[in-house]
Formats: sequence, C-alpha cells, structure tokens
Amino acid sequence: MKRIFLAVLMGVFMLASTEVKAQDISPERKQAIDSLALEKVRDLSKYIKIVGSKDTPWSEANRVIERVEELFAPDAEIGVSSLSSQKINYYSVRKYLERLMRLNYDKVEIEWYNIEYVSDLQRQPDGTYVGVITIFQTFKGYDKEGRLVYKDTTKKDITIYVKRKETQIGGRLIGFWDVLLGDMRVKETTH
Amino acid sequence: MRNIGKVLFVSLIALFLIGGTSSCNSKKKMLKQEYEMKLQQAKDDLNAIINDQSDLTLDQQIARIEEISNGDFNDPELNELIEYAKLYVKLAEEEKLKEERRAEEERLRMEELNNIPKTSLEDYFGKIAGASSISSANSLINEALELFASPDAIVLIRINSFGDYDRPTTAVEYLNYLKDSKEAKMRIYEAKYDDNNKITELELIKK
Repeated sequence: MKRIFLAVLMGVFMLASTEVKAQDISPERKQAIDSLALEKVRDLSKYIKIVGSKDTPWSEANRVIERVEELFAPDAEIGVSSLSSQKINYYSVRKYLERLMRLNYDKVEIEWYNIEYVSDLQRQPDGTYVGVITIFQTFKGYDKEGRLVYKDTTKKDITIYVKRKETQIGGRLIGFWDVLLGDMRVKETTH
Repeated sequence: MRNIGKVLFVSLIALFLIGGTSSCNSKKKMLKQEYEMKLQQAKDDLNAIINDQSDLTLDQQIARIEEISNGDFNDPELNELIEYAKLYVKLAEEEKLKEERRAEEERLRMEELNNIPKTSLEDYFGKIAGASSISSANSLINEALELFASPDAIVLIRINSFGDYDRPTTAVEYLNYLKDSKEAKMRIYEAKYDDNNKITELELIKK
C-alpha cells in the first residue's frame, strides 16, 4: 500500500515538473525577449526625440505618434513632471505626444540614457512576462535666441508586458513575442 | 517443208507476242502497286503532319510536302491533304517565328536589366538609416518600395534562431523604422518573390 502511494506521489511530481518545464523557456530565448523589450524602449526614446524636435515636419511627427501608440498598451499613461510643481500629471500616450509637439520652446532636446531593467521580466500565471525598465530623461528647452531656458532630469519607470502570440502568414503559423509598454511613471525629477 | 518453216515462224511470232503482252501486264501491275504504296505513304506522312504526330522537323515537313506536291499523283484526297498540311506548316512556322522573337526580346530585356547598376535591398537599409535628411530618406524609401510587390508586404523579424519573432510588420513600416531609428541592424534571412520578381514576404535577422 505504501509502495502504491509512493508511486502515485512520484507520478504526480513528475507530471508537475513536466508542466513547469513546458512553461519555461531556455535562457537563450529569454535573453532574446529581454533584449527585444529593451529595444522597444530605445525605439521609444528615438520617437520621443523626433516628436519633440521643432525640426520635424508635422506629417512625420503624426506618423511617428501612430507608431508610438502601437508600442503601448491601449490604456497606458505617461507621467509628466516639472521642477516648478510637485504635481505629476498623467496623460494618454497621444495626449502626451501632442503636448510635447506644442511645447512653447523654439528648440527642444530630449535625451534618454541609462536604460535598464530594474525588475526582470517574470512569467505571470497567464503566460505574460512582466518587467520594469527604468530610464533617465534629460529635457532641455531653448528660446528663439538659443538660450537654455529650462532643463530637468527625470527618472521614469516603464512597465513592460511581453506575450507570446501566433499569427498565420502565407499558410505558416508564426509565433511572435508581442511587446507592449505600460504606464510610464515619474520616479523623481531633478535639475 | 516450206510450210513447216512458215508454221515455225508464225509460232515464234505468236510466242513472242504472247510473252510480250504478259510481261507488259505484270510490269503495269507492279507499277500500280508501287504507285498505291507511294500514295498511301504520302497520305500517312501528310496526316502525321496535320495531326502533329510527325517525327520530322518543321523544315523536313516542308520539304516532304513539297516532294509530295511534285509527285505525279492524281488523287483528290491527297490534294486536299496537301492543302491542309501546307496550312498547318504555315501556322507552325509563324508560331516558331513568334517564339523566336519572344525569346530574343526576353534575352535583350535580361541583358538590359543586368546592365543597370542595381541597389540591393540591404544597401537601401543602410542608406535609409544613414540618410542626411527626412526628404532624402523618404525618396530612398520610395525607391526601396519598388522592390516589393506592395508597401504592405509582410516583414518578419527573427529575434533568435529558435523560431521566435518580433511582432510582424510591413515593408513601408520597416523602412520608416530604419529612418526613425537611424540604425540598420538587420540583414535579409529569406525573401519570397512573385512572378514579377517583387518581394512578397521578407524575413530579417540580426547582423
């Protein structure tokens, strides 16, 4: 009786471990997904720079805004802070970018740096990988004489969602990793 | 005695005449048989030409029809077959000429295409990413799009060698991405083309 119980227990254990293995992905694949998500944040930094630049034609800025919207989850919000106020305002992605386009400076420079994971992508029970990437943003606004009239540095955290999806292309089933950016929260703003 | 001589002479003449007539008849018979055989062969050859079953080349077919036409046949059916066969080879000759013209035009077109210095798609990737202005990047994008069957041609980006991909995109979006990111980090892994040699599906992988 004891032997049967042990055999059943072993069976259950083996089944469970097979289930875990099926859900896990190899470190090499995980690394590729980590890099993919990081790349999306780097892309975002370039897009924000393009939209913020006063040299970007309106049509180009609008095209880029559409690309940025595709990068984010539908309800994602972006936080905006200022040295002159303690308040942090949150806007939808489109609203944030449209405000950025209309900022009352003659020249705007936006740089992102130290883009890295603060929380690695972790698999959730529904199969989605969730992580947090932090970035530092330097914002500089110039007047028409070319004088720097505003500058701040903001640390922001971006939640990342990565989900495995499948699509049929030319009769082939393609498995892809869909990276979506979530809220971009302001952590601190300094001079 | 004199009578015997006469009788012998007459008999000889008779024998000669009988023998001569018989030989002439068989000769005629033989000629007729030969004629029938040649006529049948001519009909068979013409039918084979008309029904596209002849083993002869087109030039040999023309020569054979000519030979039959010049033959001393007097057969209405054969004459009709000759007309059909002449019409058939005329059409076949025209088709052959058309085919030769098509082949020559294709050869010249290929020669012309090969002489045009072409920018490869990967060259365009680098040029678009490195373009000095938005307008020059846009004109390069338009040139590069000529290589695709449609601006919406699917572009797949492999993120590793395990069959994992990034979200599928399109040709126009990927080329614009190169302009925005100012980096060309991908190379062509595989491309599918349509009958016009335009890309219908592109698969990229990191360099």
